[in-house]
Amino acid sequence: MTSLLEQRYRRVLRMLPASYRAEREEEIVDTYLEDFDEYEREELRPSWREVASIAALAVRTRMGGPRAEPRYAVAGATVRLFALLSILMHGARELTDRALSLAWYSGAPAHESALFISAFEAHGVMEGVRATCLWLLPLCWVAAYAALLRDRRRTAFVFTVLANLPGLTFVVDWATGWPVSLDGYSVAFAASGWLTVLAVVCAFHSSAPPARLPVPPGLALMGSCVLMGGSIVVWRDGADSVWSSGTACVVAAGCWFAARARGAVAAADPEVPLALALLSCAVLAERAGMLVLLMEPHMSDLHVYAAGAQTAALTALAAALAVAGSRMARRSRKQLPARGERGSPG
Amino acid sequence: MASRGMTQTAFFVLVALTDEPRHGYGIVQEVDALSDGRVQLRIGTLYGVLDRLAEDELIELDREEAHQGRLRRYYRLTDAGEAALSEEAERMAEGARTAARRVAGRRGSPGKQSPVHGTVRPGLAGGGA
Repeated sequence: MTSLLEQRYRRVLRMLPASYRAEREEEIVDTYLEDFDEYEREELRPSWREVASIAALAVRTRMGGPRAEPRYAVAGATVRLFALLSILMHGARELTDRALSLAWYSGAPAHESALFISAFEAHGVMEGVRATCLWLLPLCWVAAYAALLRDRRRTAFVFTVLANLPGLTFVVDWATGWPVSLDGYSVAFAASGWLTVLAVVCAFHSSAPPARLPVPPGLALMGSCVLMGGSIVVWRDGADSVWSSGTACVVAAGCWFAARARGAVAAADPEVPLALALLSCAVLAERAGMLVLLMEPHMSDLHVYAAGAQTAALTALAAALAVAGSRMARRSRKQLPARGERGSPG
Repeated sequence: MASRGMTQTAFFVLVALTDEPRHGYGIVQEVDALSDGRVQLRIGTLYGVLDRLAEDELIELDREEAHQGRLRRYYRLTDAGEAALSEEAERMAEGARTAARRVAGRRGSPGKQSPVHGTVRPGLAGGGA
């Protein structure tokens, strides 16, 4: 007859993938119960620390850790690539925005440049420091990108958290009694950033291979900045806050389909279209939130049409990428032996 | 493992397997004793480390036994595991020796007075510092 503690612990173990449990459950239960006498086994519950350690093992196993099934190996590789692409996209966007702002500031008429500067110095020292931090912190995305490519995972995590802090200013405003107006775009933007942090935490576990891009990383950052900056300069009248990242997603997806059609090696892994699909979904959420804001009566039709066209393109590409990636993953699962992820450190 | 360095937990698990094959709970107890209670392995952490060490072929299955109707697996250190452990122990001992030399140099330098009197404590890996 099983004890109450054993029943409770087995319920906790259901967090683990079925294949892992089939192989390990009895052994893990034996190891766990050995620490308790008969009386304790009828009285106690698994501690939160034990539950957390099993939860971490469950995440790691599903993110392509040792003994992972091929589908979890693909899932882990997909989330890692999504994290890297998302960090790249955020970094390129923030870098481009600031470069364009400074370029505009250097050539702006005196009264407009004074308006720009007043945001940093017109409301006292504390507000100036706050405004400067809010302006600079998003550049931590670029530092996170560099850190992740150098396999400095903790550093990358710290930088992604720092880069996301400006998105939480509404919490500070709310706590200090300032009026807060939350819209769908702000929520989607913050959610996209924190989803990236979550992806870094979950997918870059100690057994995970280093992050890799299918193209040279420096070229990817530079190309993204040029593309995003170009999309804003060319389409200045229709560009909003999501325009540049939406354009980058559409172009990246288009490049993948073109490479796939030409049979390029870089387009052969299922994690590339799946990660691009995830990234497109994150941008699509921002785009949908922005579209609602653009529906305000005073906004021009040009904004709405441009945003609508980009929404349609992102939706179609995200769906096409997800379908293509799923098919490739199914095919690769049949070909791979049931073992750990390719490229796992040996 | 080598590519990402050895964690403290993995180090203690390998040390626990140097003298004899052990099962999961035996490893937990041995690591607790080896680290003077500083490293208390949770079960999820233990099996994450065991999976990784087995994947890297630093440990392997020794035997399986039935215990109160459940499975009990014993693990043993492989030759590669012994080599990796030896390398890590030497690296840690070298780090301890370097630290000890610097502390001794600092104490011997003019204007510096030792805050601690008495014998030098052993290094992290057990080496004399």
